[in-house]
Amino acid sequence: MSSTEQGTSSAAPAEPTTAPESAAAPEVPESFYYVHGKDKVVHKVSAGALQHSALIHGMISNLGYTEEQAKANPFPFENIDGDILQMVVDWCNQHKGKPTPPEDTNLPKQKEKLFDLVLAVNYLEIKELLTYCCKQVAMMVKGKSPEEIREIWMIPTDAEDEAAEKEAKKRAGKEAAGETAAAAGDAK
Amino acid sequence: MSILSGNLLQMPIDLLKFPNDLLREVLKLCDPFELYKLSKCSKKRSQKATILRGTKRWKISYYGGNDMIIWTDGPNYRFKQTDNPEDYFKTTRRYGNYMYIEFPKGGPVELFVYLLELFGIRTVEFLEPSFGEFDNVSKVAKLSIDRKMEVEAFRIRNIEEVQDVLDFMPLLNQMDITREFQCSIKFPPEFHFEFVKYPSQIYIRESSWFTIGQLLDCTCVRIELDNSTFNNRDLDVFLHEWKNAGAFPNLRVLKIESEKIDNQSPILEMIPPITNVNNPRIEVSINNKFYYHILDGVPVNKDDGTEGWLKVELGGYSPRLQFLIADPADTVVEEIPEDDDDDW
Repeated sequence: MSSTEQGTSSAAPAEPTTAPESAAAPEVPESFYYVHGKDKVVHKVSAGALQHSALIHGMISNLGYTEEQAKANPFPFENIDGDILQMVVDWCNQHKGKPTPPEDTNLPKQKEKLFDLVLAVNYLEIKELLTYCCKQVAMMVKGKSPEEIREIWMIPTDAEDEAAEKEAKKRAGKEAAGETAAAAGDAK
Repeated sequence: MSILSGNLLQMPIDLLKFPNDLLREVLKLCDPFELYKLSKCSKKRSQKATILRGTKRWKISYYGGNDMIIWTDGPNYRFKQTDNPEDYFKTTRRYGNYMYIEFPKGGPVELFVYLLELFGIRTVEFLEPSFGEFDNVSKVAKLSIDRKMEVEAFRIRNIEEVQDVLDFMPLLNQMDITREFQCSIKFPPEFHFEFVKYPSQIYIRESSWFTIGQLLDCTCVRIELDNSTFNNRDLDVFLHEWKNAGAFPNLRVLKIESEKIDNQSPILEMIPPITNVNNPRIEVSINNKFYYHILDGVPVNKDDGTEGWLKVELGGYSPRLQFLIADPADTVVEEIPEDDDDDW
C-alpha cells in the first residue's frame, strides 16, 4: 500500500514516503509522480502504476519532470475524495505491470462509497477497474426482486417521479411569478 | 474480501445519478430479466435504461402458449406465466433460462406489446402456433402487420381448426416474412393462395395448391414442396426455364415430392430416375445460412455456366426431385470413396 502524507497545498507538499516496491524491483530507477484529491493528501505513485489511468498517463507522458519538479507539482484531483483516491492509488500499485484478471477481487479493503469510486475511476479512465466496478454494480441486482432493485439502485417509483415533477413545476411557477413581480416593481 | 465484494455491495447506490456513458456500461451487463424487473420499479426510468442499454437488436419469439422468448446476442430468455404470486420473478435454468411472471390482464398479446415497447424490439424471430392454439398467434401476427415489424420465420403446423388458418391466410401477404415460411396444413381442394412477396425459404408440406405458375414466379432461395401435384412435364418446364441465364438468381435448393413424378417422360431430356450411378459417388453440399446436400446427383449447367446438381428418385416413400445450385463460395463437391458404405 502506498504511503501518503497530509499536505496543505499542492504547491508545497511535504516529503511523502515511497510506495512499497514489488517483490521483483525494477533494475532501472522508476520515475514517480504525485497526486492529491480533495483532502490534499499527496500520494506518491510510480509512472508504471499510473499507466492504468489513461487520463494521468496522457498528462505525464510528455512532461519529462525531474523528481523535484514532480514533487513540486502534484496533480490535483479536487473532484475526488481523498479516501477514494487512496483506493484508486492502491489498486494501481497492486496491479502495476500486471494484466487485470476478469474476476479481480484483489482490491483495496474499504466498505463504502462505491458510487464515488465508480465516478472517480470513470474520470481517471482506468478501464479495467471501471469494467470491474460496473460489473459489481450490475451484480448488485442479480436475482433481486423489483422492490429490492428499487432500493439498491435508489430508483424512484413512477408516483414519486410524478410528485417530484409536480413539485418542480410548482417551484418554477413560483419563481417565475416572483421574477415577474420583481420586474413590475422595478418598472414602477 | 474486497471493497466491492463486502458490505459495500449491500449499500444502496444512486444509479440514476451516474453519467449516461457510465450508466450504459452498467446496463450493458443487465439481461432482459433484470430490465423487465427494472420496468416494474419505474416505467419511466426503465425506458431510459432500455434506450441506453441498446436492446433494439433483440428479437422476440412466440409460440402461442403462455411464455415468450427474448433473443439477445447471447442466450435466450423466456418469460413464463405463473398464477402463484410467490413465484413471481423467480428464475430457473432447468429447461432453458426462465423467469416466472404475472401475465397482464390482456394475456399474452398484452405481454407481447409490453416486451416490444420495453426493449424497442422491431423483429420477430419465430412466430408459430403450437398445441393447436392459433388465436393468440394470429393476434400477434396482426400486431406485427400494424407495427410494420419484420417476422423472420412464420410456421403454421399442428393446427386443430383448418378454418382458423383459412380465415387468416389473406393476412399472410401483409406480413413482412423474410427468412422462412412453413406450412403443414392440408387445405380443402378449392383453396387458392398466391404470395405477393416470398421469404427466403418456403417449406409447404401439403402443397397441392401451389401451382407451376407460382413456382415459375418464386423468388426463394430454398423451396421445398411435399405432396405436390407437379408432374415430369411441370418440372421439365421449370428446369428449362432455370437454364436461361439470369433466371431464378436466388435459387439454391429445390425439393419436390410428388406422386406424379414417374418414368414416362423426360425431365431435362433424362428419364427418371436421374442419379449418378458411377463410381466414385459424388456428394454436393451447401453450408451457408442452411445446410443441404445431394448424394449421387447429376450435374446440369445453366446457359451462363452456373452448375446445378439434379437427382430424381422414384422409389422410397414418395417420388422426389432434388435440385441444388452450386456456388463456389459455400458449396463443397466431394467424391465419396466406395469403401465408405462398408464402414456402416
